Amino acid sequence: MDIRAILLIGGISPKDGEPTERFGNIPFACLDVLGLSVEERVVQWLRHFGITICSLITDSPAEAQPFLRCRSLDSRTRPLHAESEQLWRAAEQEFQRCAEDGAELVVVLRLGAYVEVDYEEMIQHHLDRRSCVTQAVDANSSPLELFVLSASARMDAAELFQSRLQHLRRESEPFQVKGYVNRLQSASDLRRLALDGLLARNAAVPQGKEVKPGIWLGPSARVHRKARIVAPAYVGAGSKIRASALITRGTVVEQHAVVDCGTVVENTTVLPFTCLGAGLDAMHCVVGFRRVAHLARNVEVEVHDEKLVGTIPLSPVSRLAGSTAALFAFLPKEIYRGFVSPWRRKQAVRNAEPSEEAEPSLESPGLEASASESETSEFPSNFAVVRRYGNH
Amino acid sequence: METTSRPVVVKRMPEKMNLTQARKFLKEVQPFVNSDRPQIVFDMSQVRHIDAAGVDVLLRCMRAAVKRDGDLKLAALSPQAAVVLELTRTGRLFEIYENSTAAVKSFSSFLPNAMRQFEPHGIHTITPAPSISTTDDQQGTGLAA
Repeated sequence: MDIRAILLIGGISPKDGEPTERFGNIPFACLDVLGLSVEERVVQWLRHFGITICSLITDSPAEAQPFLRCRSLDSRTRPLHAESEQLWRAAEQEFQRCAEDGAELVVVLRLGAYVEVDYEEMIQHHLDRRSCVTQAVDANSSPLELFVLSASARMDAAELFQSRLQHLRRESEPFQVKGYVNRLQSASDLRRLALDGLLARNAAVPQGKEVKPGIWLGPSARVHRKARIVAPAYVGAGSKIRASALITRGTVVEQHAVVDCGTVVENTTVLPFTCLGAGLDAMHCVVGFRRVAHLARNVEVEVHDEKLVGTIPLSPVSRLAGSTAALFAFLPKEIYRGFVSPWRRKQAVRNAEPSEEAEPSLESPGLEASASESETSEFPSNFAVVRRYGNH
Repeated sequence: METTSRPVVVKRMPEKMNLTQARKFLKEVQPFVNSDRPQIVFDMSQVRHIDAAGVDVLLRCMRAAVKRDGDLKLAALSPQAAVVLELTRTGRLFEIYENSTAAVKSFSSFLPNAMRQFEPHGIHTITPAPSISTTDDQQGTGLAA
């Protein structure tokens, strides 16, 4: 049976107070979760069920284009870009093209939600009911933007796309999804998806090697020997965790991110190509692209200071040039330190000398001395009490 | 129990606290911070963008105030300011109040009185507020008598 899939990214015009499904200007579907973007995971999930030919239609802005990595993922994936008003028209045309190419069924999914649905079961449900369109619903019977359409039902498809996946032309029995569902509407949903992946509550397996129980490291991730990582945690490919940093409580550091010296990252997602400055305390947030979404406070803040939240160039050439420049700046500084530090040490010793002389005078007030004498007189001089820590 | 009231200066921070604005702001508050036993409240309700320079100014002012036996308190933190203060670990160094009035009142009461306000059935003593002088960019600067 020829089954094809049309994936849609975007297609919403959020009003005030409604979730934007974006972090900054980048849709959640394009962001990495444990080393792979949501769209890549969805494409892999479809392939797992034999739905191999996918069309990916997006209305994402220019900033999001580098993150649409499905383009390089597979030549069989057809990426299409449409202006926000034209997205639904493009989807309708793509559906017609699939039908003309001989597809029997078309799966339409807007990302949007991350759904781990058993497509085999859903398609069987669709065929058994002889429906033209079958919509998926979650465990609470709330509709999901996931449909199976018969390729012959062009009118139904047209109605569906024109109504922005809101109305069905004919009533049909919905299919209840038993698997994992995450609607990915806000930063907290993105965080929950990553955490659920770390805790093996969904099929979003961390991309990398499990070096210790619950700690995954991506290829060429570098963790300083003085940095500490507490499980569960994920450090993505090419990321750097610098000295004295602490990564704890389900923190996810995505690819090519940097956590600088002494920074504590707790229950946080550090998005790809983000540099988290030195000596910071990032807790319960999603950090990246010069933004911080604080999950406990439910606010998203733009941070314009590179010392706090910086960005790392996307192109490997720029990254290499940057690190070479940093190396050349670092070497003279270290050489200068090498010359200056013995002199500074001597100065410090000289400064410390008078304070050592002054110390006895501080400890010799008459009243305190007499009190200590009276205390010691109660016990023999060879009597020693050793106190251990803990209940020993 | 109340202390004798000394003037409390309430200063509204600008919307942007980048390097330029922070320098300007520091210049404005320096006379108050360098006075004897300064009691200062920074109202941060207007702050939308604050960076490391802004945080540095806060720390400098606090250090200077504490050095002169005074104190600096923060009030009405905007969500943006609260996130940046938490991120930079500086939030814990300051007493933070919901609004400027509460921050000003806190100067006039000893700790037991201040703590009593947080108790659910505690006795609420209404203390007369000390003289307040509010300064912001529009009004210019001023110090209460």
